[in-house]
Formats: sequence, structure tokens, C-alpha cells
Amino acid sequence: MLSSIFVHTGPASGGWTTYPPLSALRQAGDGQKIGTDLWLISMALFIVSSLLGGLNYISTILNMRTKGMSMTRMPLTIWAMFFTAVLGVLSFPVLLSGAILLLFDRNLGTSFYLSDIVINGEILPNEGGSAILYQHLFWFLGHPEVYIILLPAMGMVSEILSVNSRKPIFGYMAMLGSMFAICILAFLVWAHHMFVTGLNPFLGSVFVLLTLLIAVPSASKVFNWLTTLWRGNIRFTPATLFAIGFVSLFISGGLTGIFLGNSTIDIHLHDTMFVVAHFHIVMGVASFFGMFAGVHHWFPKMFGRYMNNTIAYIHFWVTMVGAYLIFWPMHYQGLAGMPRRYLDKRGWASFNQFGDTDKMITVVSIIVFAVQLMFVFNFFYSIFKGRKVTTKNPWGANTLEWTTEINPGHGNWDGEIPEVHRWPYDYSKDGRDFIPQTEPVGENESKH
Amino acid sequence: MQHPAFEEVSFYQHQDDDTFKKKIKKTTILLSVITIIELAIGLIIYNIHKGEHPNDTLILMFKGLVCILTLAKAFYIVSVFMHLGDEIRNFIMTIVVPLLLFIWFIAAFLWDGNSYKNLRNNYDKDFKERTTPASHHSTIVPGVKPGEAELKK
Amino acid sequence: MSTTVTTHQTKWWSGGKSPFNLEYGKVMMWYFLMSDAFTFGAFLISYGTIRFSQNFWPDPNVVFNAFPGAGHANLPLAFVSVMTFILIISSVTMVLAVHAGHKGDKQGVMKWLFWTIVGGVAFLSCQAWEWHHLITGEHAVLVNGKIEMWGQNMRHNPWGPIAEGITFNGEHVRTPGPVAFGGYFYGITGFHGFHVFSGVIINIVMLLMTQKGAFERRGHYLMIEKAGLYWHFVDLVWVFVFLCFYLI
Repeated sequence: MLSSIFVHTGPASGGWTTYPPLSALRQAGDGQKIGTDLWLISMALFIVSSLLGGLNYISTILNMRTKGMSMTRMPLTIWAMFFTAVLGVLSFPVLLSGAILLLFDRNLGTSFYLSDIVINGEILPNEGGSAILYQHLFWFLGHPEVYIILLPAMGMVSEILSVNSRKPIFGYMAMLGSMFAICILAFLVWAHHMFVTGLNPFLGSVFVLLTLLIAVPSASKVFNWLTTLWRGNIRFTPATLFAIGFVSLFISGGLTGIFLGNSTIDIHLHDTMFVVAHFHIVMGVASFFGMFAGVHHWFPKMFGRYMNNTIAYIHFWVTMVGAYLIFWPMHYQGLAGMPRRYLDKRGWASFNQFGDTDKMITVVSIIVFAVQLMFVFNFFYSIFKGRKVTTKNPWGANTLEWTTEINPGHGNWDGEIPEVHRWPYDYSKDGRDFIPQTEPVGENESKH
Repeated sequence: MQHPAFEEVSFYQHQDDDTFKKKIKKTTILLSVITIIELAIGLIIYNIHKGEHPNDTLILMFKGLVCILTLAKAFYIVSVFMHLGDEIRNFIMTIVVPLLLFIWFIAAFLWDGNSYKNLRNNYDKDFKERTTPASHHSTIVPGVKPGEAELKK
Repeated sequence: MSTTVTTHQTKWWSGGKSPFNLEYGKVMMWYFLMSDAFTFGAFLISYGTIRFSQNFWPDPNVVFNAFPGAGHANLPLAFVSVMTFILIISSVTMVLAVHAGHKGDKQGVMKWLFWTIVGGVAFLSCQAWEWHHLITGEHAVLVNGKIEMWGQNMRHNPWGPIAEGITFNGEHVRTPGPVAFGGYFYGITGFHGFHVFSGVIINIVMLLMTQKGAFERRGHYLMIEKAGLYWHFVDLVWVFVFLCFYLI
């Protein structure tokens, strides 16, 4: 993909969705020449690699658990990785098929997506294809992809909130159930990205129903996170803050999803800044927050040093406030009908009222971007100069990775792989702050 | 028997030679018979098609029958040849359950394909005229006289 | 054996062993095949979608009616049934190879693997002949009031409805059919053929490794089993390709 920047006709210019017919016609523009071919090939390679990675995750998690580690004793992070891998393994191949058909259309003159095309008065011989077919194939991956991005963040946030509020995760089984439900529903709702593309309206209404069902498991997760925090002994480490930020963003971004999931409202809101605001908050910024939380939390495990807290706090607050400042006004712009992907909106008098808002958004995004550089700096600086970790288990966490040495050798554990005796969320139990998974269940121990 | 090379495998299945050979033989014959029935139905469909006024419902029924027979074939290949039937239930479920996704995958795609046809027939009269045959397997070509046609030079 | 299962049953998922009683690589192979099933599924479903969006679709019995050496005889489905049987038989020989592997019978594995490879190569040759025949066989098609001679390729489809009352050399003349037909036919059978081809390569590698005694030293023939899974999957896909393109 990088190499396509250096070809003389330039890189792919079809947008991230590369919808045909434009992406299927080499004549459509410079970017549609070799650049798009390279883009598609690199996508195919990416799909193969993510497929192999996913297979590895699934078979490892199912087949290679240590003794005593039953499925319901696994940390939620692992569960989330498992569901992510399942989504990837089952949905990416469909995109692969779509991409292969597109490559054929571009290079071998087939008519999978092309029909009745006239360029400069010349009728192309392609006939019988359907551009909507590509969109179906694309979004069959595209929707699970959203959860591929979001689920690992959800898993890490569950873990971090539980550790740092010193409380067992609220509703472990409900968390599993809702992740499972999200995983299933992810495959059933793809066409809600296509309400206005010529989809059968009645079929669309079925997709509305299925889409709105996603609200149920999502809400259940949110309530579980909030009740985990409720009356906890919260340690506001940077990781905790980012995890709480994730929950906040997931709520505000998720609610607008209910608007967009209705095909009738979507007729008004599609392709406006409202959509931009929705998905940037819920899957863009939110999943980044999950990632930041994870990096801050597991950094001591990875490098044996802490990240710098001052920089982390600045990074968090500026990003948090900035994200809302950038994306909140976009909802109003979108409701007023302001389209996305326009370079210059001055031609429309009705959008002049948003001129200042746009300027504000631009300034804030530059500031927020600069703050991200602070994070990158913090990351590399702390690898070499960070405060050293002195104990194996700095956060007092129960999961197995914190029972290894600070500098683990080959195979992570000396000698035998540890045996697991309990679930990973025994915090503040029977007067003890935390009980690691490796500790056998005592005789008089209360049940969780 | 513990498998020597893989500690995660708890026990090892053995099938004696004769039952195995019998089973394979049975499945092979079954698959062949199903294929022959499928071919016969294919030829029946062909002959119904050739007729002047083919009965669409009958054709659809035969096509449905072929689909069911194919699923039966797939079942035998997966369960006997790929030995999925010999695995324990846990594993069978992890393979079969995700395949249920295909139901909605197929239904929604075909539904929308059909709807695309209807939309085009409604709003693109030229498409309808161009692509709909007049009778079942022939069409009247406007502007061409019946009779012997000539090769394009 | 059933007693062993029940004693293990309660603790299948408790960790320390495989909940499926299978080794890692085989589990991975199965899930890979599942993923591949979605690739092929997407292809065939796309084909179905396009077919549903057309007012006319060629009858497969008209398109696939040739047999090598039979000239212009009308033999619908004859050749493809030969191909289907070749693949089923090669699947059976693969089962036998896997079974020989279970018993550690090196000669048996080599013998059956060899026949599987022969079956694979025969199938590929048949497909090559069929493609060649479809691409080069010319048919009179009425285009803009004139006759053109068309083969079946990705830009042309000579299998449209018969033009009413028009003949060429005393035979019926067809109008152009849906172009997408050729693309899907060559695309999907080609992708399947590519799988057969890679299966043949894998089997050849297995054969050489068996001959060198690699599995004997390892003490088990699990690789043959995994290659076998792949080969059966190829057969399985063909069952559906056969259904979608030739039967309905």
C-alpha cells in the first residue's frame, strides 16, 4: 500500500470503501490506475495475515488453556480477543471475495459490478453486474470490522475497571453473553450502511430491527461497567481514566447509533456530519481510548518501567475534552444537513452559520493531534528512562501475566506452567485486597 | 491410549479395519447414487425447459430437490470423509453453529438481488425490453426480418 | 469407547487439555476451512444475487453439452458428471491414505496418496478441456441485425434467448446473453481449480515427505490428515459449484 504512493499515477483514490463503478474503471481517474490495484492486493495480503492471526488466537484460546483455566475463568480481555478473532475469521473472507471480483472487473473485463456504463458517449460492453452487490460484500465485512476494532477495547476496559476499582467485575456472565450477542448480531446487520443505496426498503426495515437489537447487549455492558465502578475504591491511574473515558464515549457515540439505525431518519442524516460524529466517537476515539488504557496498564509488564504519569494525565484530559469539542458540534451540523467529505461549504448560505464552529473544530483538532505526539514521546521515553517497576504485580491484579518475573525468561514461567483455581476477579474478598488466580480456594471462603 | 506427541489430546480413537472399510464403501456408493439422481433431475429439468410452455412450479420443485440432495451429499462428505461425525460433540458444534450465519447471508443477498431486478424493470423500461425474452426461450428481435441471416463483415 | 467419553465429559472445558480431544494444528485447519467456506460462499452467493437480478439466465444444459471426442453431439451434463466422479473417487482414495496413516502403514499412505494426486491432475485436465472448449467453440449470435461468431468468454455471452424465426446455416441463432455469466463461471471454477491445484501440490509434498520417512520419524501421520481435510474440502466445494452452475 505504501509503495502505491510512489507510482506515477498516484495511490488509490476510491476512498476507504472503493465503491464501484468508479473503482472498477481504470478510466475513472489517475488514482484508479495501478494505485487501486496495489491497494486491493495489499488488502488481500492483509486479509490473509489477519486470518492466520485469528486462527492462531481461536485455536490457542480453545485448545491450549492451562490446567484449571476453564472458559468462565478466563479474563474478559481474552474473551474479547477470542470474539474479535472469530469475527475476523468469518467476515474477512467475504471481503476477500469482493476484492477479487473487483480486481477481475478492473483487469480482466468481467462484469461483476458493472452494467450500463457510458463514458463520453461510448457505451462500455459490461453488462449484468450490480454495484450494490459490492456494497453488500463490503459491508458484510465492514460491520463486523467495527466490532473487531471495538471488542478488544471493551475487554481491556472491563479488566482495567475491575482492577482499579478493587471490585469484582459486575455481571461476568452478562459480559460474556453481551459480547456473544454482539458477535452474532454483527453478522446480521450489515445493510444498515446501505439504506439509501437502492436497497429494497422492506429488507431495510428488517435490518433496522436487527440493528436496534444491538442496543441491548451494548447497554448491558455499559451498566456493568458503571456498576463495577459504583462504590469502588477507585485508583485514578491514567489507565483507569482512559477506561472511564471509553465508557463515556461509548455511551455518547452509541446513542446516536440508535438515530442512524432507523432507515427513515437515515434518509435525512446519511452522509452528513452526524454520521462522522457518530462513528468517530463510538469506534474511533473510543477504541483509541481502550488502547491507551491498555498501554498504560500493561506497560510495566511489557518493559518493566512505568509511563510518566504527568504527561499521561495531560494527554488524557486534553484528548477527552478535545474529542467532545471536535465531535459534539458535528451532530448539530449534521442535523442541519451539512454533508461530509466536502472541501469547501461556503457556496451554501445555509451552512454559513457553522463557519465559526468549523474553525473551532479545526483548531481543537490540531491541539489534540499535538497532544498525541506527547503520548508517543512518553511511550518511547519511558521504555528507556521510565521509573522502574520493583514488584511483580504493581497494580495488585489477579490475572496470570502478573505472576511472571519482572524479566521473564523463555516460556514466561520457570518450570511448570501455573495452575488456575479461581476466576480472575476476586478483589476485596473476605477482607483481602486481591486473591490471584493461582491461589487454591480456601475451605471457609465465601462464594462470589 | 494417550497420544505420545500431543499432551492436549486425552484419548485416541481407534476404528477397526473392517467397519471402516465398510463405512467408506457405503458412503461412496451413497454419494454416487445421489449424484446420479441429481443428474437425472438435471436432465428432467432440461426436458421440461425444452417444452413450449414449461411449468415453472415443477421446475422450482425439482431445483429445490437438487439443493436438498446436495446438502445431503455435503453432510456425508463432512461427517464421514472428514471424520467430523467421529469427533466429540463440542467440536461438531463449533463447526456447525457458525455455518448457521449462511442462512441470513444467503436470504438477504438473494432477496436484494431479486429486488434489484424488480426496481430496474419498474424504472428502466429499456432494460426490461432488452432482457426479457418474449416467450420462454426465444425472443423477437426488433428490426430484423425472419429468415436466413448473414455473417457480419 | 463410549465409557471413556462420559468420564471425560464433565471436565472437557476445565483447561489443561483440548476440549475437542484434538491437537492444535487440526483445530486450526478446521477453522481455516471454515473461513475458506465463507470465501466460496461469498462467491456463490454473489453469483446467485446477480442471477436473481436478471430477467434471463442461460440454461446450463444448453451451455455444458459437449464431450471430448463426441463432436457436436448434444450430451448435456455428461462431461461434468465425469469430473464430479473423478473428484469423489479421489476423495475416497484420500480417506484411505489417511486411514493407512492411522495405522502407520507407509506403503499404504504412498499408494493412496499417489492415486489421489492422479485424480486431482485428471480433474484439472478435464477443467482445462472444458474451458478451452467454451472459449474457442464459436456460436452464431445476432448482434445489431448481423451475425457474429462468439465464444463464451468474460466479455461475451452467446447463450441469450433464441432469436424468433432467424436461422444461420439452417440453425437457430441466439441473441447475446448476460455477460456476467462468463465472469462468474470462470471466476468461481477457476478459484476452485486453484484450490485443487494447490491441493495437488500439497499432496505431492506429502508424498515426498512420506517417502523420505519424515512422518515415520515423527511417529504419527497427522500431516496427512490435515492435507486430507483440505482435499475433502475441495471436493465439498465442488459439490456446491456443481449444484449452482450445472444443475440449477
